[in-house]
Amino acid sequence: MAEGYVEYSGLKKNFGAVPILHGIDLKIDEGAFVVLVGPSGCGKSTLLRMTAGLESVTDGDIKIAGRLVNRVHASNRGIAMVFQSYALYPHMSVDENLAFSLKMRKTPLERIAEAIKGAAGILKLSPLLDRLPAQLSGGQRQRVAMGRALVREPAVFLFDEPLSNLDAKLRVEMRAEIKALHQRLATTTIYVTHDQIEAMTMADTVVVMHDGRIEQVGDPLAIYDRPENLFVADFLGSPAMNLLDGKVVATDYPDQPRAVEVAPGVLLPIPGGAAAEPGQSVVYGVRPEHVALVGEDAGEPVTMTLVEPAGWETHLHADLAGLSLRILSVERVGAKPGDRAGILIDPERVHLFDRATGRRL
Amino acid sequence: MATLTRGGETAMIGREPGFFDALMARFGRVILIGLPLAFLVIWTMVPLIWALLASFKEPLEIYESRSFWPRNPSLDAYWTVLGMDGFGKWMFNSILVTVVATIVPLILSIIAAYAFARYLFPFRHVLLLLYLVPRIIPRVSLIVPLNDLMTDLGLINTYWVLYITYIASAVPLATWILVGFFKAVPREIEESATIDGANMWNRLRYVILPIAWPGVVTAAVLCIREGWNEFAFVLALVTETGMRTLPYALYMLKDSMGVQDYAVYNAFTILTVLPLLVVYLLLERRVVDSIVSGAVK
Repeated sequence: MAEGYVEYSGLKKNFGAVPILHGIDLKIDEGAFVVLVGPSGCGKSTLLRMTAGLESVTDGDIKIAGRLVNRVHASNRGIAMVFQSYALYPHMSVDENLAFSLKMRKTPLERIAEAIKGAAGILKLSPLLDRLPAQLSGGQRQRVAMGRALVREPAVFLFDEPLSNLDAKLRVEMRAEIKALHQRLATTTIYVTHDQIEAMTMADTVVVMHDGRIEQVGDPLAIYDRPENLFVADFLGSPAMNLLDGKVVATDYPDQPRAVEVAPGVLLPIPGGAAAEPGQSVVYGVRPEHVALVGEDAGEPVTMTLVEPAGWETHLHADLAGLSLRILSVERVGAKPGDRAGILIDPERVHLFDRATGRRL
Repeated sequence: MATLTRGGETAMIGREPGFFDALMARFGRVILIGLPLAFLVIWTMVPLIWALLASFKEPLEIYESRSFWPRNPSLDAYWTVLGMDGFGKWMFNSILVTVVATIVPLILSIIAAYAFARYLFPFRHVLLLLYLVPRIIPRVSLIVPLNDLMTDLGLINTYWVLYITYIASAVPLATWILVGFFKAVPREIEESATIDGANMWNRLRYVILPIAWPGVVTAAVLCIREGWNEFAFVLALVTETGMRTLPYALYMLKDSMGVQDYAVYNAFTILTVLPLLVVYLLLERRVVDSIVSGAVK
């Protein structure tokens, strides 16, 4: 198998007796933009910090560009890191911040000046070079932090939740800037976030982590369309996927020989090829945007409980035989709580999971 | 007072703040902050001002007049003090031991405080507490054993005895102050410097110390004050006139004068306090500057 540019094999981390990472195996291609995503405490930041050399390795190997770096000092790994808090040197001006790593490496002054000029040009920092970090806005500080990483021309960029201190609007802007920067420089990037929108929009490859393990790796849309287990299904997507406990039953319909009974008498369709046997306990998953609203006299009857118009889409909460169902409509739905309607579900858009193992069926 | 904004227009709800509110706000501030401050200033300054005024009086005037102000202000007392045999030497001794007892403890404390603030070694909490022991036990109780020890080492009446004792008493103080300031430097900034290629010394020099500079100056001011004002050790461990420091000389002055010339006595006091005051004012401005600008270059 081909070697990855960044490669983890059997990587484990314990803090004292507490295991944080349980054997991570992952290969990252050169030039890829990989996003590690997962809830707080899933080990994604620990993995990033181990890559940076800020945490020791308990067991297993980390390779960067073919070199085993387990015992290589952070400054010699060829990485640059952007921290959540930016970690700018508050007593140094922007150009001093940008120059610091090069000074520490005893780079000639002309070369430092060149590197600062280059980075400042790319990140539009040129007019700010004399300012102190305290005199910059959040977005500008973020750009300085990126510039500081940029001047080192690292083999790998590491980002640790770099946008979580910014307000929503700026976050969207910076998201686009970071992605554009990556498209321009094509430097291998590992980006940690708990925000699934960031993960979906920025990544070539998403790595979903949970409890110190990798749950699924893949193209963002592929993961979204085909989550391998319940955790990934639940974690990715906003509003979250509807997950309903049910049992597979045989039906009398020739085109739908099997269905899932989620409540007494409520049968929902499943994909033809699903490997589910009648009698099997399953979790029935359907994304809110794949539930179609129809008239009261068609489909399964529901009652609206909450309507949240968001402008370009409408989030609806409905009661389906005592179960709560989320529905996402891109149309303006004139429904009110208490209104009755019917729902239709495209069986090919349904995700079935084994209730006992949580695996996709 | 709430404000509603819609389409660029601002509508006030409730009463506009009037002259009376502003007056009350200002008056309240004066009472809450100004008065206690004024009281504290008077409390601390009156003895000093009294000493200053008394130093301008004639030798026996203090026994004859209860007036705060000198009848015929003169600098005679100062000339007497400056003309004393040994005054220059005492001043030199004070400056020398204070400088040594400031620089050495600062260097030691910076390293120790960095370790306490950043490294997770066993017993660090206990050790940091033990660091305080020399400052918790009354200094007087240390004098007999110290005197025995220093006599055995042959250090009585040397600068070394003052260096050692002064440094030992300043290090815990400075370390405790610096630990707090160093801990306040965000760890990520240091990690960032580590990735940038700075080793421990460079991180300390280029990152930690500049950010924690107000703490370093605070520790320095306290070390200077400790060294300059130290009395118990010099009294116990030094006997030769030429080895005295200013506080010791001041104390001896009182003994040797019979009917006490309070003007000379106070002039000596003022000359002893003055250098400390100057240093303090200079450094204090630095601390304030560094806090205001958010950094020191």
